[in-house]
Amino acid sequence: MLRDVSVAVLMPAYDEAVTLTRTLASLASVAASTGGVTVFLVDDGSRLPVQMTSLPEPTPTFTVILARHPINLGQGAALETARRLALREPAFSAYVTMDADGQHQACDAMALAQAVIGGADVVFGDRSRGDSNVPPFRAVLLFFAGIFERVLTGLPLSDAHNGLRAFSRRGLEAISIRQNRMAHATEIKRLVSEARFLSVVELPVSVRYSRETLSKGQRGSGAADILRDLALQYLFGESR
Amino acid sequence: MNFAASCLLALVFGLVVHDWLTHRGKNRRALLVESAVFVGGAFFIAFPDRATALAHLVGIGRGVDFLLYPLVIWLVRESLLARRLRFEDAERMTELARAVALRGAQRLEVETVHSSGRNPLQSDGSSASFNT
Repeated sequence: MLRDVSVAVLMPAYDEAVTLTRTLASLASVAASTGGVTVFLVDDGSRLPVQMTSLPEPTPTFTVILARHPINLGQGAALETARRLALREPAFSAYVTMDADGQHQACDAMALAQAVIGGADVVFGDRSRGDSNVPPFRAVLLFFAGIFERVLTGLPLSDAHNGLRAFSRRGLEAISIRQNRMAHATEIKRLVSEARFLSVVELPVSVRYSRETLSKGQRGSGAADILRDLALQYLFGESR
Repeated sequence: MNFAASCLLALVFGLVVHDWLTHRGKNRRALLVESAVFVGGAFFIAFPDRATALAHLVGIGRGVDFLLYPLVIWLVRESLLARRLRFEDAERMTELARAVALRGAQRLEVETVHSSGRNPLQSDGSSASFNT
């Protein structure tokens, strides 16, 4: 289905040594059935920097472009760096954003890319309709986050703060991320909503939580940080 | 002068002395401004009736309100300005770090790995860990 399709994967990583290798290996395995997968990997100042030797060997259909922040800035900043890296390359058929911690599935990433090929500008993953194992507390948090984002952006989406998304080139060009930390997920939806000309769909994806992903993922207290960052951007973000 | 006023005066005096000692030789103009403001504050602590008299002159009931209202307004403004500066600094820092990252981006090339049997990006230690 994706035989002639080139896919760019934008992937922020921070201290993800083991899971990153697994995630890239899974992408390399699905890349063989596509026209090529290029991973724009941004190491967000990991304490142990991502080594080129730890990355899967490149193949004719799989390659990695690696950039490294000299200091830790946050997932949103790393995603924006990956976005700019990807946009300075020749156009890809689809651009997928994906976490490096192993909770997103390579096959879901390709399914979202397929939806972009089908004509969507932005495709958001919906973990509630996929084979996900969301812990109860996280589910409650996501429920309220979803309501908040619907009110803020007007987009009628089921899931919130799901890092698995796909964009067309013009979709990716429309989202210049300024939120360095976790509020970028809300910011992306707001930018997509404000762009108006973008067609948006939501597809089921499976998000698999493990002890590792839960220990590193967003916490309840993170919600307050997100609200603070959004408020600060609302107050001071017009200056640029 | 009551006990509370004495404590406040001691605090003001202690802060001025501490700042003069720790900033000795630096920021003298800022320290002079700080000392002038603190002397003004100490005067109103020592003679609260003077503050009340001034407050009555401009139609405010209590001397402490006369000092508190502008102080709160000033602090809120300072807080917003400081937040804005931090926000702008953070954005500048982000762009700087991003520029470094974009400049040092490396591609894992299939041809080079296959032709030489090893990844040329690993030719020296610095590029392997790409310290920037």
